[in-house]
Amino acid sequence: MRALVFERSLPRYAAAKVAAAFGAGLGARVGPLALSDIPEPELPGPDWRRVRPRLAGICGSDLSTVDGKASAYFEPLVSFPFVPGHEIVGELDDGTRVVVEPVLGCAVRGVAPPCAACAGGHIDRCERLAFGHLAPGMQTGYCTDTGGGWSTALVAHQTQLHPVPDTMSDETAVMIEPAACAVHAALGSGAFGRTVLVLGAGTLGLCVTAALRRFAAPSTLMVAAKHPQQRRLAAELGADLVVGSEEVRRAVRRTTASLRVGTGLSGGVEVVVDCVGSQASLAEDLAVVAPGGTIVLLGMPATVAVDLTPLWQRQITLRGSYAYGVEDEVAGSPPLPARTFDMAFDLVTEAGLDRLVSATYTLDRYRDAIDHAANAGRRDAVKVAFDLRTERRR
Amino acid sequence: MKLPLRPSFPIGPPTWPTGVELQPPPRRTGVHYDTDWARRWPARVARAVFVDDLLRPLVAVLGSPLVTGLDRLADLEAPAIFAANHHSHLDTPLVLTSLPARFRHRAVVAAAADYFFSSRVKSAYSALTIGAIPIERTKVNRRSSDLAASLIDGGWNLVVFPEGGRSPDGWGQDFRGGAAYLAIRCQRPVVPVYVEGTRRILKKGAQLPTPIGRPFARGTGVRVTFGKPLWAQLGEDSRRFAVRVEAAVAELGDETATDWWTARRRAAAGTTPSLTGPTTAPWRRAWALDDQRRRRGADPTWP
Amino acid sequence: MTSPRGDAVSPSPVGRPALRTRPGLVLEVERSTPPVLFHAGEGFHLERLPVGSRVIYPAEPVTPLADPDAAIGHALANPVGDSEPLAALLRPGMSLTIAFDNQAVPLPPMRRPDNRQRVIEAVLDLAAEAGVDDVELIAAHGLHRRMTEPELRHIVGDRVYDAFAPQGRLTQHDAEDHDNLELIGRTPEGEYVEINKRAATSDLLVYVNVNLVAMDGGHKSTMTGLASYRSLRAHHNVNTMQHSRSFMDQERSELHHSAWRMGRMLGEHVKVFQIETTLNTDTFPKQFSFLQKREWEWSARDRASYLAVSKSLDRCPPRLARSIFHGIKSPQKMTSVQAGEVEAVHALTTASVYRQQLVPIDGQADILTMGLPYVGPYNVNSVMNPLLVMCVGLGYFFNLYRGKPLVRQGGVVIMSHPTPWEFNPVHHPSYIDFFEQVLPETTDPAEIEAKFEADFANDPWYIHLYRTSYAYHGVHAFYMWYWGSHALQHVDNNVIIVGGNPRAVRRMGFKPASTLRDALEMAEDVVGRNPSITHLHSPPILMADVT
Repeated sequence: MRALVFERSLPRYAAAKVAAAFGAGLGARVGPLALSDIPEPELPGPDWRRVRPRLAGICGSDLSTVDGKASAYFEPLVSFPFVPGHEIVGELDDGTRVVVEPVLGCAVRGVAPPCAACAGGHIDRCERLAFGHLAPGMQTGYCTDTGGGWSTALVAHQTQLHPVPDTMSDETAVMIEPAACAVHAALGSGAFGRTVLVLGAGTLGLCVTAALRRFAAPSTLMVAAKHPQQRRLAAELGADLVVGSEEVRRAVRRTTASLRVGTGLSGGVEVVVDCVGSQASLAEDLAVVAPGGTIVLLGMPATVAVDLTPLWQRQITLRGSYAYGVEDEVAGSPPLPARTFDMAFDLVTEAGLDRLVSATYTLDRYRDAIDHAANAGRRDAVKVAFDLRTERRR
Repeated sequence: MKLPLRPSFPIGPPTWPTGVELQPPPRRTGVHYDTDWARRWPARVARAVFVDDLLRPLVAVLGSPLVTGLDRLADLEAPAIFAANHHSHLDTPLVLTSLPARFRHRAVVAAAADYFFSSRVKSAYSALTIGAIPIERTKVNRRSSDLAASLIDGGWNLVVFPEGGRSPDGWGQDFRGGAAYLAIRCQRPVVPVYVEGTRRILKKGAQLPTPIGRPFARGTGVRVTFGKPLWAQLGEDSRRFAVRVEAAVAELGDETATDWWTARRRAAAGTTPSLTGPTTAPWRRAWALDDQRRRRGADPTWP
Repeated sequence: MTSPRGDAVSPSPVGRPALRTRPGLVLEVERSTPPVLFHAGEGFHLERLPVGSRVIYPAEPVTPLADPDAAIGHALANPVGDSEPLAALLRPGMSLTIAFDNQAVPLPPMRRPDNRQRVIEAVLDLAAEAGVDDVELIAAHGLHRRMTEPELRHIVGDRVYDAFAPQGRLTQHDAEDHDNLELIGRTPEGEYVEINKRAATSDLLVYVNVNLVAMDGGHKSTMTGLASYRSLRAHHNVNTMQHSRSFMDQERSELHHSAWRMGRMLGEHVKVFQIETTLNTDTFPKQFSFLQKREWEWSARDRASYLAVSKSLDRCPPRLARSIFHGIKSPQKMTSVQAGEVEAVHALTTASVYRQQLVPIDGQADILTMGLPYVGPYNVNSVMNPLLVMCVGLGYFFNLYRGKPLVRQGGVVIMSHPTPWEFNPVHHPSYIDFFEQVLPETTDPAEIEAKFEADFANDPWYIHLYRTSYAYHGVHAFYMWYWGSHALQHVDNNVIIVGGNPRAVRRMGFKPASTLRDALEMAEDVVGRNPSITHLHSPPILMADVT
């Protein structure tokens, strides 16, 4: 089968890092990612199914892997060679369309009894990601045994599969995985009735905006977006106020009626959802979050240098948000379906998130695809995906 | 061969024959010195360069002056008579360099004939550098007053120190009527000017000037304050007008020492401190002058 | 002391009527008409207008008073309306407050001595004579920014500043200092009359004004300059501004009707002695004198200086150009001064302003063009940001009419100004937020007012900056937009800015054009082929009398 394969090759990894310094996405040209013909993955057990991807999204974490920017932290949590792609809508051999929930928790790995987190349904906090009968890998798309979305076939455990209703388009369905991340972050942020700033308006930022609006009822929802198309979409998806990335501090100051102290604010928003995850964005978070507030880090940060003095003095909570599992009941919110993915199904339809899918590419054009995805904002795009519906299947 | 040191007539001057009555030499110093040449173009250009490029920096180094009240001259058309109090030789350069250009480059200074015009050389120097014209200190001399009046009528501004001389002790002297007389005669206004602090630089009898203030730092040294132009009122004689001019200068002195509003209120109440100081014992007059008590220089520091 | 120049040797200048030199002119452009000067911020250019366009030229500066100080003395001694001479109103032991206009007038700032300095000194002279000890001076800047020391010194003069400021007797009005505001009452229309406490509780309030345009002065002086926000809100709002046709014409201005109601109420509470002065339009110093000449009268020297100035401005960095222009001190001169009861005084003042500024013109045009200068009332010593461009163009210039607007209903306004996306963060902090956060959402004045005004007006940071720094009040940015609301309504948002930053221009809902020719082409889409065009050749200031 044809697949984009990520090899373990230190020289190519180094080359990707160098190339990426000249422009995001250039790592695809020289790096360890290559289009190959490889055997289809074998079914690891009886509960497993073969999935033929129809659409597979390109995620920010995929891009940082391609550009050689991923943290060394992931080293033990992936297994090489792997086929990237974890935002997958595909079909089973019987023609049923499914969305894959890619996290490889205890149940999928055949770990019995499951770890405490998985036992409660919180597969996002699974403690056995490198163990069990599968090779290490946090998700489908990072594990050599399962294959990934950027190919014509992969295998998935039946607990990973969510059937897609006939009325739902592939474009809508491919947004379910990022939407689930967004729902998880939105509900975990404690945004109910609070002032919230979403920093960054790429796929995640926009999905978080929609999720906050649908499930979390913030008192004021501000979005900082860099590019014009992002601003339009953020406003459509329910932001009360959309500001340019240069205007964040002024807008927060005005909206929260704070004063300024030096370059920061005396007050600020109660919750910041950081969908960028860079050194600069963390500094910005700390400048605009209110004392006692919360920063939810949804973007993947890698190694950064940040002055944490304000975190200490203003007693700010900094919490990460990864993946999805089951959501706890939150006081004051309407009754929710427990599983994050189920909520994501609801969100993508209600908020019409299919509009975020800006472009699709065949596997042959993977360099263009990655280049487009890496510069999505600048090119007024949001989500770029591989379209595998036309690939030859053998 | 003996080289004649003194060439004989007709190359040299003739000798006066004995027995012929000796005529007094023509008087060409004092009020009789003719300063016309100093008001022609070459001299005026030279004087403008001297005043602007030499006197002004000199004054800036010595006195770092702060000039106020120029806005009161905004509506004034030349010519005018500028009447200032007088402490020091520095007053003339100071007032001259403080005047707005439209007055400065067409100004003459009334200077004591007996001092500034005592010799031909000194006369030429005074006339050229500051545009001095000779004036008798004590009496009204017909020739000098005619000269001054004709100059004012011809559009020249006159700087005059009506006290008639520099202050001997730091207090002012009564104003004489010359400036007032000329103002009435020519129907021009008198601008009162108050000069403060020049005595600390170069007082009467001092040999060398002592710079005060930080050089070129405006406002750290001496002060020049221009007052509102005064016009003689209908039927006012020069003595009464002179008193009014003196009062105006005294008010400016008060304004310099305190502030304008205080000075105005004291003027309205008739309690402006006079320029001439208290009529008491000399030591009390001296004591009342604060420049006597000013500390000169810093304490020596020992290694 | 009396006025030093009394019934004296010199001729008395008082009462000489301000002679009118050449009046304003409406010129019809034909093929032999030279190109017409357009101001455009820190620069200007010559443009050829289509044949048949009309250009309104201002009147030449009228002859000023020969002796302004004597005229002031005369006005104080011979007040108009129901008022005694100032000297008779002063007595020992009374409290006297002198309020004066801020740096927003005149434009550009006039050469020293300022009218206000002359008048204040004359008033204080009389107060000193009368033995008044309790005197306080208040800069009546309303919700404008506080003035810096040099700006205050320029207005009141060094003598007054040095005498009063160190003792804290020269203060600036603070509309957010609620302990020092006095609520006088509410008018039957529900307007709060609330002004500076010291002014409201003095035995005599003397207001010293410079009446640059017909909008200034009268009861508006006290009712804006010394008022609180809730008091100002009575007339500084969209409804009032849209019903002021124009706000330069006090007879037909809701703004003035409201201020007059409130001022009369104030007058029952405190004795107000108003002193108003007017200026001629001798606006530019010698090196820029071509700016106030008619192009066909430019001498060789004018042409040379036009070329030299405009070429060097093209090459010089904007910052430098700005500092050169803001260094201009205008040679304007006082043309009249009157004192006494507010309304009687203001009637004379208005007549005097009209005498200088009114230019009659027949009929409206489809397109109104104007060149906006580098300075407006709110950016003295600062950059003219896009909101100020809007306010100066659609607020001030558009409203400089009596009768009907210069442009017909549904016509187009074309203004030339570089409109940089640039703000002075010290002077205009709320403007930045208004531009970034309010305008992207809506440019409709009424909606802006309903949705955002309260937030901005009560923002503690803006209040802090207004009170302690040099910032305009948070709500002031809104007034900029309200000021143009009548124009926006009248021309249905058809505004084109020539040579502006396109993003900034679009943000305000206007259309950017790179040249005047393009702008005229664009305008034809709205008003049809062969439109009639009127160009407002200003500054110097003129006010069109449209019939």
